[in-house]
Amino acid sequence: MNRLFSRWLPCVTLAAWSIVMLHYSDAPSGAFWKAIAKWTHLFSGRVDSFLIPAFRGYVLAAGVVLGIMALVFALFPADAECCTTAECSHPLSRFTFGKWLTFLILLVPVSVTAMFAPNAFGKNAMMNRGVLTDASALPQLAKTTTPSSAALNLPLPTKDGSPASSTPAPATAQANGAQKPSAENDYLERTPEGYIVAEVLDLLYAAQDPNLRKDFEGKTVQLIGQLMPDSGDNAKGNRFKAVRMFMTCCAADARPVATLVEATDAPKIPEMSWIKIVGTATFPIENGRRIAVLKATKVDKTDPPSETMLY
Amino acid sequence: MHWFTFSPNDFSVAFLSVLFEGVPFLLLGSLISGFVDVFVSSERLAKILPKNPAAAIALSGLLGVIFPMCECGSVVVIRRFIRKGLPLSCAVTYMLAAPIVSPIVALSTVTAFRGNRPWEMMSLRLGIGYLIAIAAGFIVYCFPARSILQPGLVKAEEAPKRRSGLGFAAAPVETDPQRDFSEIAGGASIPRKCILAIQSATADFLDVAFFFIVGTSIASLFNTAVNQQIILPFATQPFLAIVVLMVLAAIVALCSTTDAFVAASFATFPRTAKLAFLVFGPVFDLKLFWLYGLLFRRRFVILLPICLFIVILFICYQIFPVFH
Repeated sequence: MNRLFSRWLPCVTLAAWSIVMLHYSDAPSGAFWKAIAKWTHLFSGRVDSFLIPAFRGYVLAAGVVLGIMALVFALFPADAECCTTAECSHPLSRFTFGKWLTFLILLVPVSVTAMFAPNAFGKNAMMNRGVLTDASALPQLAKTTTPSSAALNLPLPTKDGSPASSTPAPATAQANGAQKPSAENDYLERTPEGYIVAEVLDLLYAAQDPNLRKDFEGKTVQLIGQLMPDSGDNAKGNRFKAVRMFMTCCAADARPVATLVEATDAPKIPEMSWIKIVGTATFPIENGRRIAVLKATKVDKTDPPSETMLY
Repeated sequence: MHWFTFSPNDFSVAFLSVLFEGVPFLLLGSLISGFVDVFVSSERLAKILPKNPAAAIALSGLLGVIFPMCECGSVVVIRRFIRKGLPLSCAVTYMLAAPIVSPIVALSTVTAFRGNRPWEMMSLRLGIGYLIAIAAGFIVYCFPARSILQPGLVKAEEAPKRRSGLGFAAAPVETDPQRDFSEIAGGASIPRKCILAIQSATADFLDVAFFFIVGTSIASLFNTAVNQQIILPFATQPFLAIVVLMVLAAIVALCSTTDAFVAASFATFPRTAKLAFLVFGPVFDLKLFWLYGLLFRRRFVILLPICLFIVILFICYQIFPVFH
């Protein structure tokens, strides 16, 4: 029984954690690793939905190190002297039942969540976190642009004097380097039809920044998000939200951000479905705030983007 | 909408994201711990810090600058250092200071608050974090280690030196529990030493991982199931705003290297509340509660966060008029 606890179960635990880490991690560059990824369940790249790029490489490294640890444990046995002499600091380890429970806690939550976790939060988490339709509550804000716009954009009273209106770079620009704020709009990515490819955050930031707004206002924009009903100022019932999760570090800190979409009729698509919207970007002032509203001409169901989270 | 609605899928996403974020750092801490265990003798470790206790505590609070470590990793590292005979006061000071007083945290705080007095926020965060850590170190210095530490961790002259923890990844066969692990490895070849270090690191990792899983599970449950809109009404009342963000910091259990980005997003909350979030979160949260239990006696694990909470709340509330 001692060998089970001192050698084989630690080995299985480490191996299981290693497999989970390697399954979720991105494949290293090179044809060999791509082939490994193709023929095994490793390197699925699903970590992209959970962490920002700066942390993703660490998951791969952790998977490799855990695998090495498992191998060392399998090849070079260690004893369980302290366990048998009841010197361990953790009370669970002093009893056989406690040891089993310990390994269950180490193995079950990680294995089960790894097997069944989707790549994105559902409606429940989004609602609990509160959907933001205003970029002033988002991080990476820069200095106030104009006092007048500051007064318009403040969603809730602030006690700290933090800038209510800001000139941030579009989120997609920070993440992908695809779009950079500029007076000229030739940097914007376009579809073959000539529509500007925008993210939810771009329009939210544009609502607050006059310079950025010029790039989008009145232009035809294509945007992808998850469909959610709008429970706000929606008397006609023709408004809904295109929602994306915005993470600063990992999915645990992600906050849902949304652009309001206005269509002639509410789309007959199930809630939380991924939708592609083509429409004209507008930035009206409602209830003293400038907001982004996409006047949709076309709303279609679509596949989730390769990265479900914005960062 | 109800204040509590649980979804297994949402829980899984939050749980895995914290796991992926935290495990590499836990592993790094465990590896450092394992290699320190094998390659650094107690005598050599004792020479690192000044003999004067006050100077040693003050210096321990600054070690994070050259040896940065997030809160999960620092617990593993100091457990090893305590076993090696590092004074408990210095270890506690390092444990509390390292997740805050580090160049990574300074940089992330400045970046997150850019355009919104970033240097002020960073200086106050690091300054208050340092002062609280050394204050805790001096308080711990006044008490005997055996009244604070778990029995298996009390240093050699007070109890036999044994490997503690869950024990399923115990020391190698030839280990004499009365001797320093580095002495046992002393005559071994470098490859053998590396294997011993990995075995030691694995033991530490599995010990800590258990508590990490428990803490992460609870944090993920709160993170996804509790309606966070319920805290917004408190934003306009300074005292309550500070309390609420400190409680939130303990619940969401974010990594200190990146929590500033989350704090900056609380646009409606006062700066002092954000400061309290940034100082309290790295020294206590739900996963740390379980990790601390690996090191300290239950009484200390309960008293430490209560004292830290009161002191940080008091400081942040007092500087509120200066800030605003």
